[in-house]
Amino acid sequence: MEQLEKKLQVQNLRISFKTAAGKVQAVRGITFDLYKGETLAIVGESGSGKSVTSKAILGIQAANALTEGGEILYDGMDLLQIDEQDFCRLRGDRLAMIFQDPLSSLNPIMRVGKQLTEAMLLKSRMRKNNSRTAFRERTHLLEQTMQTRFPERRDLARQMEQYRKMETALGAAEKASTDARQALARILPLLERLCFLKEKNADTAGMPEKILDYAGHARHEDALSEADLQDLRSALDGAGKTPDIRPLLERMQAILDRKPTREALLKRSCPSFTESDEAAFRADAQAGIEAAMERFAKARKEAVSVLESGLEALKSGGIEAVRPHVASMSGAVARCIDPIDPVRDSRACTFAGSLKKFLRTYEDGVRHNAGRQVRYEREMKKAERRQAQGKTWTVPAPSIIDLEQVRANMTGLIEAMIQHLNTPQKMTGAEKTEAVLSAIHESALGMVANMTPWEARERALRLMEEVGISEPEKRYKQYPFEFSGGMRQRIVIAIALAADPDVLICDEPTTALDVTIQAQILELINRLKEERHLSIIFITHDLGVVANMADRIAVMYAGQIVEYGTSEEIFYSPAHPYTWALLSSMPDLDTKERLEAIPGTPPNMIYPPKGDAFAERNRYAMQIDFEQQPPRFQITPTHWAATWLLHEDAPKVEMPESVRHRIEKMKARMEMPSRAATDCQIQTSDKSSFGKCSTVRPAKEGQA
Amino acid sequence: MTEPLLRVDHLCQYFGSNKAVDDVSFEIRKGEVFGLVGESGCGKTTTGRGIIRLYDITSGSVYFKGHRIAAGIKSYKDAISEAKKALRGASGPERERLQAIIRENREQIRLARRDHEQCDHLLRPFLRREVEEKYAERLAAAPPEQRAQLLREKEYDLRVAEHQRYVTGIQMIFQDPIASLDPRMTVYDTIAEGLVIRGEKDKAVIDEKVYRILERVGLVREHATRYPHEFSGGQRQRIGVARAVVMNPDLIIADEPVSALDVSIQAQVINLLNDLRRDLGLTVLFIAHDLSVVKYFSDRIGVMYFGKLVEMASSDELFAHPLHPYTRSLLSAIPVPDPYFERHRKRIRYDPLAEHDYTVDKPVMREIVPGHLVQCNQAEYERYCRMMQEGQP
Repeated sequence: MEQLEKKLQVQNLRISFKTAAGKVQAVRGITFDLYKGETLAIVGESGSGKSVTSKAILGIQAANALTEGGEILYDGMDLLQIDEQDFCRLRGDRLAMIFQDPLSSLNPIMRVGKQLTEAMLLKSRMRKNNSRTAFRERTHLLEQTMQTRFPERRDLARQMEQYRKMETALGAAEKASTDARQALARILPLLERLCFLKEKNADTAGMPEKILDYAGHARHEDALSEADLQDLRSALDGAGKTPDIRPLLERMQAILDRKPTREALLKRSCPSFTESDEAAFRADAQAGIEAAMERFAKARKEAVSVLESGLEALKSGGIEAVRPHVASMSGAVARCIDPIDPVRDSRACTFAGSLKKFLRTYEDGVRHNAGRQVRYEREMKKAERRQAQGKTWTVPAPSIIDLEQVRANMTGLIEAMIQHLNTPQKMTGAEKTEAVLSAIHESALGMVANMTPWEARERALRLMEEVGISEPEKRYKQYPFEFSGGMRQRIVIAIALAADPDVLICDEPTTALDVTIQAQILELINRLKEERHLSIIFITHDLGVVANMADRIAVMYAGQIVEYGTSEEIFYSPAHPYTWALLSSMPDLDTKERLEAIPGTPPNMIYPPKGDAFAERNRYAMQIDFEQQPPRFQITPTHWAATWLLHEDAPKVEMPESVRHRIEKMKARMEMPSRAATDCQIQTSDKSSFGKCSTVRPAKEGQA
Repeated sequence: MTEPLLRVDHLCQYFGSNKAVDDVSFEIRKGEVFGLVGESGCGKTTTGRGIIRLYDITSGSVYFKGHRIAAGIKSYKDAISEAKKALRGASGPERERLQAIIRENREQIRLARRDHEQCDHLLRPFLRREVEEKYAERLAAAPPEQRAQLLREKEYDLRVAEHQRYVTGIQMIFQDPIASLDPRMTVYDTIAEGLVIRGEKDKAVIDEKVYRILERVGLVREHATRYPHEFSGGQRQRIGVARAVVMNPDLIIADEPVSALDVSIQAQVINLLNDLRRDLGLTVLFIAHDLSVVKYFSDRIGVMYFGKLVEMASSDELFAHPLHPYTRSLLSAIPVPDPYFERHRKRIRYDPLAEHDYTVDKPVMREIVPGHLVQCNQAEYERYCRMMQEGQP
């Protein structure tokens, strides 16, 4: 888990909505990380704040939403702070979302084909431009780095120019080769299907033409030769009778298996750049980068001392005292950021912004707190008068800023930054050089990756097929209203995937679909995750759906995460009563007895409960649940739950019968000594004091 | 065997060239829950709507309590046109036979039209007669001071009989509780509407029924004056259930009643339906795509695929021995809350072209073991029987 790259970090996010009835606290301090290539499932009832969280990540909150705190870090940016223009670059391109309601997320007067290809074409143009800029910038930075290391060398500029040329040529060659091979790969299943249909005497109209169309695009040295093409044509021309295309199929498969190596492509595209040239360049680049790493290590040390002095001032003199240090701290941290690093240091990049945000909040508090308090008191008096008259009258709580909290947040921020700077860099010089050079290669590829309308249509059709839409050619030209509900949902999913995003947020994507399609789409999302190292946030209320998908699961209730762990931990040893309730309230195939429904409804978040939010509906609630919020009890390093039942003084409580049965059955099915077979019951030593306790103090937070 | 409560006979529902429901037959006995599953667009909702006469069915018949309440005429028309074509070249006894066929089918069309359009009119005199008979004896026997009261009761019963329709005995619960409730009607109006339409005029009776049903579905009296938007999703669905149950129906068609609800709320509504079914002896046609819920709730299950009923069996039997490849593919796709199982799941794909060869022998519903019917041709029938004996699936 440590090696994984963090794609998205949500820290202590708090979101409220201003309404006429008062402030609705929809999200109350949630923290989670999303790693590259993993799926995080957020499970909870409607109204638990899961959709609000996802919308905050996309920056599409309602106008009355109020972000009260926290940060969402993505690629060196705090998504809560960047402006709309920057968001436009991210949304739909790197962060995509599948919405719950397909009707409202499709344009009714645009054919679905256009809606599908729109993002692809726009993105391709944008990617081309961005890649060009990135390529120039990166090579330029690399040159500068090398120049600093070897100030006396005159030939560096020429060497760099050669390298640039080589990368550009290689990128173009690679692109042409992959395109042709992709078209070829597309032919194979079509040919097989054609054989199959001919055997069954079914209709094959249009298929030979389609295959030939692909074959035209697969004409390349690494794919189909002219002779292969001729063979294919003659085989397909034998209409009526079953063509013998098995040998042809095998030949094509052999071509596909023979992947062109980088050396071969390089030799073909840029013969003047030899291997020794490359080795020399690589050695120089590495030397430059290693020197730079040393410089930045020194800068980090300096920044730590600056931050420490700032922290000292903050701790002794409060926020006013730290104000003069802000500029120097921001500057020191900014100097630690290595611009050439392909993975941006998100914590360092957002440090200055977060610091400023806290200062602003503090100023706002100092200026307005008193006024707000006065107004609130006036309103309260009015309310009392009204209530005395027998009218119902509620007063929204004042939005008074807790200055101590701001100071504590700031301290936390600086401390985290210091710790971050003190952690030694994991990458060695060679690894970093490799990363930088591959990033350059990546942007070189991006420069030539121009998507033609034919390609876009092709990809759209393939996506439509992948999400289970039959006759995609016909459907491509239809309008959304011509589709049924399930079909529309599939189009929405296809659109989200069309942009090839980094982070995909799925907000109940399959709730309206039936099981076969649901399974199909979940498999599709899983496959794309594998192929593209997609990070997925999967929001649902159905635990059954996420068992297949999730690497980790966060169970949300009333705006907070109540249990968090890997998929196995949540399913095989759930610890929070709410998770138990969710598991026991759905029937499985062997359920005969009455379902254990969760009584009541989620609490009104205008007046969030004082203690554990779930206490009112909880069969296992104790006195303390109504009085104090439970802290997180760490069960394993990756699994924690916020419930008093895990406290050492709590009485021994077993999970409901039905859940226990189910887990036993699952373990029996696994037929192997279960890793998660740790006793699911809560261990207890002393229960005398907990029956009616209000004296128990929360245990130490986060033992691990 | 006694007459089933509902019998659907070769029901077809075409929309233009789209065969939404194609030759579906099944029976529902009194007191049982019949589940209908299949993917979206396979015609399960259309079947439900055809039964309750929201559509005029294309062909086939629906019998409710032994009476035909809906009938389509396409099959008869087809038979006539075919006979007419054959008639051109025919002579002698063949000709007479064909003419008899045409006459027969014309008669059938007449009967179907009559039943489809007039069934309620035919019902009413019958009900009126029943009421008259019932009160004739009692009036004769009653002392004079009770006569006025009895006459009032008789008048009331007659009025109800006058408004009675077969379809009133079938009520529907819809999928989306938001869309299926009128936002401008209070809960009381929504629930009472059916009673009023049926001729109920006595405010006290309506009040009593509405409040009783509200409490029965787990709401309280005070909720009666509120509007749908003031309720949570689960409560709204309870209102939908109350609206259906207040009519005291014999059959409830529940069209995906829990699909749009949260898991925790789903359990509440399923429990409610289960209680109602037990207490009131309801018969339910349960349409859903969530197989775990259908399995939990239904006694028998029919599986639909592209407008056709492909397999029908008791729910335990169906899940223990699925025979039709589509059923097996459907069962293999059920999500299970077990990560280990899910990661090693093998989903069976269903490709009708690869599975069946129906070029020569067309498939029909055949009974493999008593109560377990599968759509298959002769060769498949033998294979399934063998599989069943070996206990393979």
